Amino acid sequence: MSRIRTAPPRYWLVALAVIFFFGLPTVMSSYLASEWSQALILAVAIMGLNILVGYSGQLSLGHGAFMALGAYTSAILVHRYKMDFLVTIPIAAVFTGLVGFLFGVPALRLSPLYLALATFALAVVTPSLIKRPDKLTGGVQGILVVQPDPPQVAGNAYSAVTGTVMTSDQWIYYVVLFCALILFWLAWNLARHRPGRAMRAIRDGEVAAAASGINVAGYKTLAFGISAFYAGTAGSLFALSTGFVSPDTFPVSLSIQLLVGAVVGGLASIPGPVLGAIVAYFLPIASSQWVPSQTWLPDQVTSTVKNAGPAVSYGAILILIMMFAPNGIVGLVKAGYTVLNRRLRGVSDPKSGQMPSDPETV
Amino acid sequence: MQEFLQLVLSGIATGGIYASLALALVLIYNAMGLVNFAQGEMAMLATFVGYALITRGMSFWIAFPVTLVLAFGGGIVIQRVVIKPVEKAPVLTLVIITLGLATLVNGLAGFIWGYLPRTFPSPFSSDSVDLGGVFVSYRDVGVIAVTGVVLLCVYLLLQHTTVGLTLRAAAHHPEASRLLGVHVSWMLALGWGLASAVGAVSGMMVAPVLFLEPNMMQTIIIYAFAAAVLGGIESPLGAVVGGLIVGVTINLAGAYLPGVGGDLQLAVGLAIIIVVLILKPNGLFGQAAVRRV
Amino acid sequence: MTALLELEEVHAGYGPTSVLHGVSLSVPEGGVVSLLGANGAGKTTTLRAITGGVRWTGDIRFAGRSLRRMPTEEIVRRGIAHVPEGRGICTELTVDENLKLGSHLRRDGPEVRKDYDRVFEYFPVLKERRRLSASTLSGGEQQMLAVARALLMRPRLMLLDEPSLGLAPMVVRSIFEIIRTINQTSNVAVLLVEQNARIALEMSSSAYVLEVGRVAVHGAGSELQDNESVRRSYLGY
Repeated sequence: MSRIRTAPPRYWLVALAVIFFFGLPTVMSSYLASEWSQALILAVAIMGLNILVGYSGQLSLGHGAFMALGAYTSAILVHRYKMDFLVTIPIAAVFTGLVGFLFGVPALRLSPLYLALATFALAVVTPSLIKRPDKLTGGVQGILVVQPDPPQVAGNAYSAVTGTVMTSDQWIYYVVLFCALILFWLAWNLARHRPGRAMRAIRDGEVAAAASGINVAGYKTLAFGISAFYAGTAGSLFALSTGFVSPDTFPVSLSIQLLVGAVVGGLASIPGPVLGAIVAYFLPIASSQWVPSQTWLPDQVTSTVKNAGPAVSYGAILILIMMFAPNGIVGLVKAGYTVLNRRLRGVSDPKSGQMPSDPETV
Repeated sequence: MQEFLQLVLSGIATGGIYASLALALVLIYNAMGLVNFAQGEMAMLATFVGYALITRGMSFWIAFPVTLVLAFGGGIVIQRVVIKPVEKAPVLTLVIITLGLATLVNGLAGFIWGYLPRTFPSPFSSDSVDLGGVFVSYRDVGVIAVTGVVLLCVYLLLQHTTVGLTLRAAAHHPEASRLLGVHVSWMLALGWGLASAVGAVSGMMVAPVLFLEPNMMQTIIIYAFAAAVLGGIESPLGAVVGGLIVGVTINLAGAYLPGVGGDLQLAVGLAIIIVVLILKPNGLFGQAAVRRV
Repeated sequence: MTALLELEEVHAGYGPTSVLHGVSLSVPEGGVVSLLGANGAGKTTTLRAITGGVRWTGDIRFAGRSLRRMPTEEIVRRGIAHVPEGRGICTELTVDENLKLGSHLRRDGPEVRKDYDRVFEYFPVLKERRRLSASTLSGGEQQMLAVARALLMRPRLMLLDEPSLGLAPMVVRSIFEIIRTINQTSNVAVLLVEQNARIALEMSSSAYVLEVGRVAVHGAGSELQDNESVRRSYLGY
């Protein structure tokens, strides 16, 4: 009891968030549940990107490619080898993680700028790379993934609580939530222990990190591997929740969406990716739904806004956040909290959030 | 053999287009140690402006220079409004901002002109002339001529004018240049303007070949990256040579390598980028020292 | 005689650390003034304050006009040539292009040509190497190039930051010789920062010794040279 009372407020926030996400499907339609699944999947992928960019200071603009790899791994295993989807999730995650780890080795040789450039090129080429081996990937048509029905136990438990039948979208939501909770818990542990400290040290200055005995190359590749592991999990869950993968599911804009999420939420923070994912996922949807609902606007305007809205809003957000709030929402909240604290108690300000500094300029 | 020569020639023509965009990237890289991910989208926007002028009855050869001037002004405005306030930020922050700019410009073009592909009038006749068995299209020759003249102009401007001299000095040695009375900040803006105009050339030249739509430059920018990286991202000459090599390689690979037709040509671009970055990160013409990266 | 450059109670620093704690000095028209002192005394910072390279408070006036809040480019265009620490040579450019940067603001063509002739007379080696990259020059030659380039700006005042640094004694002699000639024939005032106090005092009409951001001693060049205790405690010879 006393432990609970002395728990810092952020533990309460975490508990509240978990309860919120658990209860969510019980109060909304099956369709909305699948939307929130998507947002959570995005959060997992963004967490992965955040580990790479925020903690280890390597900028990847091509994380959509790793998501595609995870998604196709699962889809192919389910479609061709008739495996149970749930089993394919860890397989896809580990496989993508390994590929990411291998990718991280040549990436060591690249300056941060070149890494950004190469990964961006990868993101652009991804759809055509998927299309080509069409025997395996189904080419332009893609692969349909049969969505599983909820298992008896889960269905019964759900009915007992809500009095309604659990749909497959709701079941998938809980699968996604389960994976997300594990991965965020892992990320939190990673961040506060030795690997996280080592990565931050590398981000803030490779030479100094190496001088203090940190295995720079090892941790940088490890960051790539872990980051890809997250993206692969997200991709696999993505295939599950949409029930369909095709080359056009993984355009460049997906990689940009991940970057928007990471930056908006706040780099090098654990809650950042969740907040970032919610913004990055729902903002374009909200904007593209709001505009067509305005009947006074001519049809032509509404249809173009629907198409161009996400790009315009993402672009504007990226620029504005980087210009005015480089630590994202989490940074803003922390700064606000600090100001409030100082006003109320006259406490001197603790160290604010961190931007990944450019390793080579240090 | 004739087919080969034809492929090389049309490869040089597309290579000239890549070279223009790659040169634009190099200009900005030299000015501030930054790869401008929005370069292709800025060129696309300029091309739409050119299209708007042409559809309002302006002839191509008047619309072309007018567009370049507008692109030049646009580049300066972008530098002043978006880039200058964050000039001193870490380079990765700047990269994210240019990526945001790319996304924003793409969306704006889609917002104004929509996503339906449009045919862009070519200033050159589509006929071919028979040169000893090799059929040379006027379009290829025209594109080579235009990009060649533009690249030559940029070279003369940079190497043989006072403005070019101060531009180079400001890019490499901002502190020392300031002490010599060079308005460094405006030189950076000028660099953005110049890059924007040179990039616009690639857009105006490629639009008749592809169709004009907001995502038109997405593949071209990858080839331009490949060209800039291959030539050495600090070297204007390297960008031009790199562009030509990439253009010819892509064309030949598409024709002779089994399975590399169509959209997999883009993968060749990616392969060039990755191989060069890993094996020879300074490119063909780059110097070993890495500044401000 | 009115002062060309005047510093009055100048405070300056980098971020939270302040380096200058109220420096006042003046350079007369056509005079040569030395600024001496140990490492970290604030000599370079004083020069940087004059050309707007650091934020400062107090007042700095050049030819009767305050330089407050003026950007570096404008200050320089008013006739101050600053040869910074490390010489500020553009190593990506050729020798000729470096020299052109010096004269690029001038519109008096014939005069510029005369100045080029003069520069090449002082430093014949630069003429030989005109087309070479400035990075191929030796340290002494780079210093010559820096001084030559400053001269081509036709300034009223030259700020020289340790022109002798890292150079062989012979080269130092000849560079100072030329600086003296420039001062006398073109009536260019010089504010000279030097570690080598002996050679600096020889050519200076007056000198200031800085100590941790303040002027500790001030006097005519010969006066300081003859004052044994000043020499011992501040100038180290």
